[in-house]
Amino acid sequence: MSFLIAQSLVNGVILGTLYLMMAIGFTLVFGVMRIVNFAHGEFYMMGAFAALIGVTWLGLPYALTLALTVAFAILLGALVERVVFRPFRSDELSGMIASLGLAMILQNGALLLFGPDPQAFPSMVSGVFRIGEMIIPKSRSLALGVGVVILVGFYVFLMHTRFGRGLRALVQDQEVAALYGVRPEIVYPLGLGLGIALAAAAGGLMAPLFGVSPFIGATPLLKAFIVVILGGLGSIPGAALAAMLLGLIESFTSSFVSASAADIVTFALVVGVLLVRPSGILGRGES
Amino acid sequence: MSTVSTMPATGRVSVGGAVFAIALVVLALVPWFTGSTFHFHIAIMVCLAAMASAGLATIAWVGQLSLAHGAFVGIGAYASVLLVTRLGVPFLIALPASAIVAGAVAYLIGKPLLRLCGVYFVLITFALNELFRLVMLEFPSVSGGSSGIAGIPKISLFGIVLEHQPEVYVFTLVMLAFVMALLWTIRNGPLGRRFAAVEENLVLAEASGIPTARTQNAAFVIGSAIAGFTGAIMAHYIGFISPESFAFQLSVSYVIILVTGGRLSLAGPLIGAIFLVPLPEFLRSAQQYQHIIYGVVLILVLRFLPGGLAALPRKLLGSERSGG
Repeated sequence: MSFLIAQSLVNGVILGTLYLMMAIGFTLVFGVMRIVNFAHGEFYMMGAFAALIGVTWLGLPYALTLALTVAFAILLGALVERVVFRPFRSDELSGMIASLGLAMILQNGALLLFGPDPQAFPSMVSGVFRIGEMIIPKSRSLALGVGVVILVGFYVFLMHTRFGRGLRALVQDQEVAALYGVRPEIVYPLGLGLGIALAAAAGGLMAPLFGVSPFIGATPLLKAFIVVILGGLGSIPGAALAAMLLGLIESFTSSFVSASAADIVTFALVVGVLLVRPSGILGRGES
Repeated sequence: MSTVSTMPATGRVSVGGAVFAIALVVLALVPWFTGSTFHFHIAIMVCLAAMASAGLATIAWVGQLSLAHGAFVGIGAYASVLLVTRLGVPFLIALPASAIVAGAVAYLIGKPLLRLCGVYFVLITFALNELFRLVMLEFPSVSGGSSGIAGIPKISLFGIVLEHQPEVYVFTLVMLAFVMALLWTIRNGPLGRRFAAVEENLVLAEASGIPTARTQNAAFVIGSAIAGFTGAIMAHYIGFISPESFAFQLSVSYVIILVTGGRLSLAGPLIGAIFLVPLPEFLRSAQQYQHIIYGVVLILVLRFLPGGLAALPRKLLGSERSGG
């Protein structure tokens, strides 16, 4: 029994890290641009396809492919900000509806290019780590390790660079940030680019575990959505806490009850939190 | 001066209204000109989409966007199908009953829900739509589970079964006319004026003594009841429902129709459905592009025509006037 608990704990932390990568991008885009980005999952899907193209078609090393995916996603994000989202900066609702349209375009574009069938991704590592009775596949450990590295890198960027400070200032107060010389025309595209890059990186990391198809974006979007609501829209510490919580809840309920029960419990939790405390567990109050 | 310049404008609008009404009647007759069963089917789907989107529009009139509209269509569909197949209730009673069930659910959850506004309301309705799907999948004895319920009896009125598409089309057309007439009456009555006041400025409406919470709840109940009503007709026409039929995608399609047609006008949902539902048929050679085109149309309308296609004539006339 204690081994089952330990195993659930480890699985929960792995899941939580992955959810966190999705959720931080989602919450960053909301915090900076006030856009609820329903296309976020499609950028996860595009990251997975970018990794597939890099590794199997071009024969590049996995690490280089991931780096290229992130660079490509930042550029794509800046482009999407310019073409789709910029006109809706002062209009949260229209920006969100536009993201629904963007999601349809991206998903069906991928369907047109790659077809509906799931594509196999060559596994990067094989075998398992054994700690006592616990089993941790090496492929999952790799995804976890790289995920943590990317998250730490993102944290350092956000807390200790000029751009990062500008981004945080913009999240707190747009007018005051602009007064202090934060330039929205640079920081907005960068913010969306970074948010999308985190989703794409998660897609690239998950591709070897879950395979690649045009439809894989839906689940990560839902998870990001749940995490961000629980943690508070726009709050990064809240997202960190909620992602770990969600990972653990899912892992424990699916070990001890059932997987569909886990889904219902988390969605009921989301509805409850929205009703009782719309700003989330750690979010700031609505202004 | 201002009265002089608005006089011809109102005249033009009523001429425009007459042209619009004639165009609608001609469009509604198209399937009889071609005589094709397939065109009748498309016309039925246009009517159903217009009806459900009109329900969504009612909620939009108080300034809220619901992403749970597909779930309410589902509630109506399941209510009617279960009443007819399990309890042997005639369709003509099950149809209003399904609207009442959907409206009652909306009434119960509306009060806490409508305290949220803007994107938070969208997010909670999105979560509720997903919760509806998951819960229905958990109870296969009621919902048929993931394989759904097939072989639903066709629409029957006073013992006459509507076997063929033309008959169903006439029935759906009458029902659509009924729903639109109802909404027209509401819009032009005291409740409609309260809707508009709440949409325009919630705080001001509250300060002027309008019970904003009850007004928003009324719109939510009416809109969701219309969704349930549509769901009942849809289920008995198509003959198959499952929890997946009423997932996120259906709610999004109604949002696209509403936004493209025009969020705040009565004709918006009609125009949106007439424009978008048959679109894939004109693009038959390029069917895989249809969703991409929907996405592009949605973003372009939001960007360049925030009032939707319903606002297009006025916009064209307006720019003509300023140009000339």
